Amino acid sequence: MIFVKIFLIAVLSIVFLLVAFSSRYRTYQRMSVIFFYLFLAYLILFPKVADKVAQFFGIGRGVDLIIYLAIAILSLIVAVLYAKVKMDERAITKIVREIAIIEAKECR
Amino acid sequence: MIRQTLEELKRVRPKDLIVVVDDGSKDHSYAQACLEGVHLLRHIINLGQGAALETGIEYAKKMGCKYVVTFDADGQHCAEDIERFVQVLREDKADIVLCSRFLGKAENIPTLKKYFLKIAAFVERIMTGISLTDTHNGFRAINIAKFPDFAITQNRMSHASEIIDLIKRLKMRYMELPCTIRYSDYSISKGQSMMNSVNIIVEYILAKVIK
Repeated sequence: MIFVKIFLIAVLSIVFLLVAFSSRYRTYQRMSVIFFYLFLAYLILFPKVADKVAQFFGIGRGVDLIIYLAIAILSLIVAVLYAKVKMDERAITKIVREIAIIEAKECR
Repeated sequence: MIRQTLEELKRVRPKDLIVVVDDGSKDHSYAQACLEGVHLLRHIINLGQGAALETGIEYAKKMGCKYVVTFDADGQHCAEDIERFVQVLREDKADIVLCSRFLGKAENIPTLKKYFLKIAAFVERIMTGISLTDTHNGFRAINIAKFPDFAITQNRMSHASEIIDLIKRLKMRYMELPCTIRYSDYSISKGQSMMNSVNIIVEYILAKVIK
């Protein structure tokens, strides 16, 4: 059990470092990331707490609660990433179109 | 094939500005399209049919064109039809003229494709209230001088549905005219498979949900 916990905390910490110290976040966003990280680490160390929280929401086990939350958060991330991809695509289209128009030639 | 199409266009419409957009092709299309007097544009990467159309339209606006006629390069449209379409715009009877293969004589249209297109037109009518018999046809004449906001944002195939949305949003007066479509072996091989319509619908719905 202790190995699993160490592994989970290690993975979590790497992701946290990547997210929290990339420069593109505002202060309040970074603060919420830090609190979320502490909360998750707390849950890994004391899984019984998750059971109590789950019972408070009327869900059987703590693990179930975490799975539900994970699915919700991952879906949100997919949606945000999709929007970002679309924005990038629009930017690329603009660039390619601009080049095409600048480089247009009349054949002779 | 592009060469034959362009030669036909040049012969029938010697005074018009012919714009060819090469959508990042990797074969010799670009070199083949280089006929005298043709304005040649090139996307450095492949973006899709909708993006290519919009590039052509934007270029035409920049060159000060009043009317744009979109014309497929695979030889399925007839250059002789252009005059009737542009005439409608000149007389200001409509702002956009669309071609319908069901009003005219379509040469060997595959049966399955025919019903698919009719269903597409029916769905389009229910969703937008705009009544057309053939919504997915590449031959259109558009008065861009009057509608500078006419811009296609859907890069791939769902631009045809987007054009119907544009007609509705910009309150354009539309008209459908018969035109001849030549279904040669070449244009059938170049045309999209009908299974792709599933992708088009998904793309279209996603575009509506996520602006």
